[in-house]
Amino acid sequence: MKLLIVEDQPKTGHYLRQGLSEAGFCTELVADGISGQHLALTGDYALLILDVMLPGRNGWQILQAVRAAGLDTPVLFLTARDAVEDRVHGLELGADDYLVKPFAFSELLARVRSLLRRGSAAPQETSLQLADLRLDLIRRRVERDGQRIDLTAKEFSLLEMLLRRQGEVLPKSLIASQVWDMNFDSDTNVIEVAIRRLRLKIDDDYPNKLIHTVRGMGYVLEERPA
Amino acid sequence: MRRLSLSGRLALLFAACTAVVSLLAGVLFSRASEAHFIELDQQLLDSKLMTLRSALQGASDLQRFAERTTLLQAELSHQPDLALRIQGPDGQTWFDSTENLPLPAPIGSDLHSLHNADNAYRVYSAALEPGNPRSAKLTLMLDITHHQHFLQRMQHLIWLTVGLSALATALLGAWAARSGLRPLRRMSEVAAGVSASSLTQRLPQDQMPAELANLARTFNDMLGRLDDSFQRLSAFSADIAHELRTPLSNLLTHTQVTLTRPRALEDYREALHSNLEELQWMAQLVNDMLYLAKADHGLLTPRREALELADEADMLLEFYALLAEDVQVSLAREGSGRLKGDRSMLRRALSNLLDNALRFTPAGGQVRVSIEERPGGLRLSIENSGTGIAPHLLPRLFDRFYRADPARREGSSEHAGLGLAITQSIIRAHGGQIHCESGRGWTRFVIELPTKD
Repeated sequence: MKLLIVEDQPKTGHYLRQGLSEAGFCTELVADGISGQHLALTGDYALLILDVMLPGRNGWQILQAVRAAGLDTPVLFLTARDAVEDRVHGLELGADDYLVKPFAFSELLARVRSLLRRGSAAPQETSLQLADLRLDLIRRRVERDGQRIDLTAKEFSLLEMLLRRQGEVLPKSLIASQVWDMNFDSDTNVIEVAIRRLRLKIDDDYPNKLIHTVRGMGYVLEERPA
Repeated sequence: MRRLSLSGRLALLFAACTAVVSLLAGVLFSRASEAHFIELDQQLLDSKLMTLRSALQGASDLQRFAERTTLLQAELSHQPDLALRIQGPDGQTWFDSTENLPLPAPIGSDLHSLHNADNAYRVYSAALEPGNPRSAKLTLMLDITHHQHFLQRMQHLIWLTVGLSALATALLGAWAARSGLRPLRRMSEVAAGVSASSLTQRLPQDQMPAELANLARTFNDMLGRLDDSFQRLSAFSADIAHELRTPLSNLLTHTQVTLTRPRALEDYREALHSNLEELQWMAQLVNDMLYLAKADHGLLTPRREALELADEADMLLEFYALLAEDVQVSLAREGSGRLKGDRSMLRRALSNLLDNALRFTPAGGQVRVSIEERPGGLRLSIENSGTGIAPHLLPRLFDRFYRADPARREGSSEHAGLGLAITQSIIRAHGGQIHCESGRGWTRFVIELPTKD
């Protein structure tokens, strides 16, 4: 999985590259629009992360060139500009997603994973599993260590999301958006409460905890050595 | 070209009016005196004619006329400004009282004026014997030069009066206009003194003349609004600085202290986590402020999707259900209504209100959303039980960075106090209004939204 980052601010570029590399992606970073466009057109990338304001050629021009060349590489825009017209413009040109600075890295990572997943059609799973936790998608049942656990519909959706993206840190905003369809910045602690209640049902009675809080970033479902 | 000043303009107008009026009066007066003189002359000439007729009774031919010349001379000597010519029926001149009478050849029988280089005359012709076609003809000439001189002097005097009175009214008018316009100058002085640092000056509205009182009031109102906006703006900037200073100083101190000596890995991790929390709070603050700035510049342009508000409210209540259960508050919704608006913006607005309501409702309380369709609009209220809000605090609730509870820690990871301001911006962007009412044991936020397209 090779990603191209075109970002002219050295610090931002460096940290993006480091973060994405450590998340297991192979990344390339260029700082100007012209080499960015050249690489985007010649290299074989799974995803382009473009800043809008770039020296040489701006992000939109790169996107246009990429689409004009018949490439359907997913494109994620990063920008400090937050005008609705900008957003519409970017999406009209064929951008796949849009993040406004300042953004949380966990948010970026989650969106990158979503975009990459979009390409590869996930096989129709009938159940999801982590350690002794098992979620049956057809019968909508959850078991841990063979014990059946009763979940509400929202708790089920939440757990399904955590299981599908196990090992990923999921920011609260992403959870609110995916599970409750609440797509706005909200500083409410609804998600904390929801996670706490889910933990009460699936984690509290078991020695190895599966839901973990990553302070300041979100939640992750994974098996950790005790 | 520079426009004439108001007082200059008024002065000129006054002068022009006076000139026209005095000119008219002068013209009328001089006409009347002239007519009066003509009448006097006519009377004089009529009486002379009578005298002459009686003196020349029977002088039907030159011979008989000659006999009466002495009498005629005597008669004429009484009236030195009167000249006389007598012509026979054949047009032959029988008599001229003086030499070189400046008489034109035929003379009509009515009174008229005659001017030559030096003198002016009133000329009058009549038959010596009225009714006799073969009668001799008398032509009387009255020297009226001194009358004409008098009239000319009059005219000069009139022109002088016109000029002087125009000048005088111009000067007086300019002075009157200047003193009459003094309130305007005061207004301009106040306006000139207005700057960002002195928006508090006001015009003395009561001392203004009626015509300017309205303007003064408008002007004062404008100053009031400017002052208010400016106060808010400077308070906002000060608040931003203040809000950001706390987390920034935390970040600085914490990072510097962490770096002063080698530490265990876990301490570094802890420091980074703590910094992350501050940073996230700051990022949220900046995002919220950008949102408000966009709203201030009219850049919040809501989409117009057809929304079923009951569904939207239910979704939000479902979202908040867990939280409500956690704090033992019951949630309810009643009524329904349709609206065209921006789904995610309205959700954000309502979510802020619900979040707010949940935080201030004591355990065992209730939060109720009611939707009510009204003619031309929709009324949506979110009511919660609780201690209520003091009336003097109600208008300030929507101010940026305003916190009803001053004890809340600054820079807490929760709320910067922008939620209600954002809600208000969203409602206004939809053309609606929001206000808060509160009583003993309840608080209600009421949103009125227009439903017309």
